[in-house]
Amino acid sequence: MNSLYKCLVALVFASITLSSSAQDLVNKIPSDALAVATIKGKNFTDLMSLKEFNNTFIGKEILSKLSKGTDKVVNSVENLGFDLSSSLYYYNLSNDSVSYNCFLAPVKNAEQLEALYVQANQKFTVKNGIKSYYNSDSTEVAHWNDKFLLFVIGSGKSSYFARPEVVERFKLSQATSGGQAADSLSIAVPVQDEIAVDSTMAVDSLEEVMADTIGYDYGNTFFKDEQKKKTVVAGWVQLMVDDFFTDPNTTSILNNKDFVKSIDEQAEATIWIAGADKLFNTYMPSTYLKGMSFLNGYGSANAKLFLEDKSIRISTSMAFSDEIAGVFKKVLKRKLNKRFLKYINEDKAIGYLAYAMDTKAYLEQYPKLMSKIYGSVYADEIGMAADLFSLLLDEEAISKVVKGDGLFLFNGLSQKEVSYKSMDYNEENFESKEVTKTKKETLPDFLFMMSSEDTRLIDKLIAYGVKKELVKNSSGYYELSVPKSPLALYFMIKEGIIFFGTNKKDMEDIAGNRYVANVSRKHRKALMNTNYAGYFSAKKLFGKIPVEEFASTKKLEKLNNVLNSMGDIYLKSNPVKGNVYSGEINIDIPSNQQNALKYLFSLVEDAQK
Amino acid sequence: MLVTTYRYLFLIVFVLFFSSCFQVIEEINVNKTGLGTVNLTLNLSASKAKVASLMLMDSIQGYKVPSKQTIQKEIDEIVSYLKKSDGITNVQKKIDFDNFIVSISFAFKDVANINTVNQNVLKKLKIKGLSNASYAYESKTQTFQRSYQYTKAAVLEYNKLKPEVKNVFKDASYTSIYRFEQLITSSNNPLAKISKSKKAIMINTGILGLINGKTDISNRITLSK
Repeated sequence: MNSLYKCLVALVFASITLSSSAQDLVNKIPSDALAVATIKGKNFTDLMSLKEFNNTFIGKEILSKLSKGTDKVVNSVENLGFDLSSSLYYYNLSNDSVSYNCFLAPVKNAEQLEALYVQANQKFTVKNGIKSYYNSDSTEVAHWNDKFLLFVIGSGKSSYFARPEVVERFKLSQATSGGQAADSLSIAVPVQDEIAVDSTMAVDSLEEVMADTIGYDYGNTFFKDEQKKKTVVAGWVQLMVDDFFTDPNTTSILNNKDFVKSIDEQAEATIWIAGADKLFNTYMPSTYLKGMSFLNGYGSANAKLFLEDKSIRISTSMAFSDEIAGVFKKVLKRKLNKRFLKYINEDKAIGYLAYAMDTKAYLEQYPKLMSKIYGSVYADEIGMAADLFSLLLDEEAISKVVKGDGLFLFNGLSQKEVSYKSMDYNEENFESKEVTKTKKETLPDFLFMMSSEDTRLIDKLIAYGVKKELVKNSSGYYELSVPKSPLALYFMIKEGIIFFGTNKKDMEDIAGNRYVANVSRKHRKALMNTNYAGYFSAKKLFGKIPVEEFASTKKLEKLNNVLNSMGDIYLKSNPVKGNVYSGEINIDIPSNQQNALKYLFSLVEDAQK
Repeated sequence: MLVTTYRYLFLIVFVLFFSSCFQVIEEINVNKTGLGTVNLTLNLSASKAKVASLMLMDSIQGYKVPSKQTIQKEIDEIVSYLKKSDGITNVQKKIDFDNFIVSISFAFKDVANINTVNQNVLKKLKIKGLSNASYAYESKTQTFQRSYQYTKAAVLEYNKLKPEVKNVFKDASYTSIYRFEQLITSSNNPLAKISKSKKAIMINTGILGLINGKTDISNRITLSK
């Protein structure tokens, strides 16, 4: 079985540039799939040829693992028998009783694929031109012909097998089906090697199959029950696979507009989820969260990976119900305070995180969100709590104190001398004496800003802090005393911004209107046009990590090399469009790299050095 | 919500950046008849910034962080156990939460008393792999013996720790000082250093060496008759 896994893993990493006329298997995926993952073989092979892949560290590892234990050496992923220039799919089908994880791959040379099974001493059967492989308990099945391979892993749902009528029907023991047993049925159960599941078997005959296995005594009822459940699941898997090969009239996922919309020819890989709420409800134990729906109003979602010439890009998007989208639109209508830009110095900023949301809208919408989650079970209680919430909170007043936008700037590392107690011994008689010594601590240097219109409460808090000697008043800014911490914390309120930082000079400069800002157009745009923005430049940390932090300079050198070869990372959210909220992660790749895929492989090679 | 987020953000910063190491010091004074005092010290002062920030949390990476009260209680329990133990008198504790230094001292009638309490205190603290040390003093031959046998239990326990926690042991040190009334004539541990007065002997070594069995701290000290 392992060899099949290996093939699939190999498929994920590689593809070949030969035939590009192969059929796309997407139309074979049923329309009720809960999730679909697509790997576009051709896009990968355009970036890296098969020959190149075979010579990479990962390529060599895969080939050596495939060759292990066989008498024949596999020297190219091309010889696995799959059509690597076509798309490979994973999809999930679920109902109340079983979940099927399915892998669908195009076959180029069935003989090569079969040779792999033969080499690994794994048996497969042939019937009506379809080859079949079963694992020991038949819950994992691979069927293939000369065009494609379908590999299905079925797992039964414990909640289903815990139902009294199901316990009764499959003659399960009460003890294990009461809910205390395993959540998944993946526990290894000793079974006879090849359960002959007849492909014509219908659900009704499942009980007969079970009757055969009851004769086995595995020592306790738990294992017996697991065995029975697995037999039931195996029967379902068989039916599902048979349907796939015999019934070409199944409605295809291509009839799902949302799925079709998520297809992007440029993306190397795509994950599409039919509905976040559906998926959540499928996998969450319904017995515990009865009636609650944490993702109520959350719709379909997708994530796409683009490996480009200059960057790696991951885009994500999620659709919401009108109601939830409305909440998002209201909460996200605020933009970042433009005045924050006056305190960014790109020359020293190694990274930042910025967010902008409307506190007032958030507080007003919060009860609505809560009622979406708990509403169906605790409608009355939630209704009262929501009213009480609005009664107690003055949303308007709070939103003036905390407007809802903030910027966290990471400005690098600095060192500070700290004192500590140690024992010293005299030479005469090793009498011990407590002495004070100093050492250097490496500390982060950051500046955090948030907008506030009404600072009266904070002013009062500061005055109280000064009175209690927790806060020290310097010229224009305050110092917060943090016991035992070498990290000094300063803060001030100026022009409707609350500043919070570790760098004394920065504070002095801000207070004295001397702060020198430096923000490029790129960052200005990234910060001002989105609700969430992030940036991190590992390269800028190069040479800034003190030697004291590392046991050896060699290690530090290695780390510095890694930092220097890493590209800048950008995060951003897009405005809510229609009912869709989306975001993007962008990782620049170093200029000396041909493309993102080759860069990823080079990172793996570097890590092995 | 934001306050909690920031609190954790700062804690992460503290935990990531502050360095950590500690000192374990064992001092034993023995007189001619075998009477004496013991002083055990655990000094976390060099990592006080980290310890202080860790103590703000209930648990970190799956390890429960004891509160001030818990630490105090555990030490009080040890002290009251010692007070009840045979041959042990004058039990004293010193806890300095500003610098995170804890020390316990007591007087003993016979060196053998230390062995019994040692075993039990370690058992109480659930420390495995270190309970294989013992002390012996023979007034006839004027020898003081510190036996120590390495067991794999220590390294097995150590290997279970997460890499970040293992780091704590990297710079940790162990110091033992034994002082006598008589002059020291010989010692069989090459790591041991004899004081100018020739009445005290010290071993100062890294804890990691003890954990992985590379350092031997056993010693046979012969005193002048």
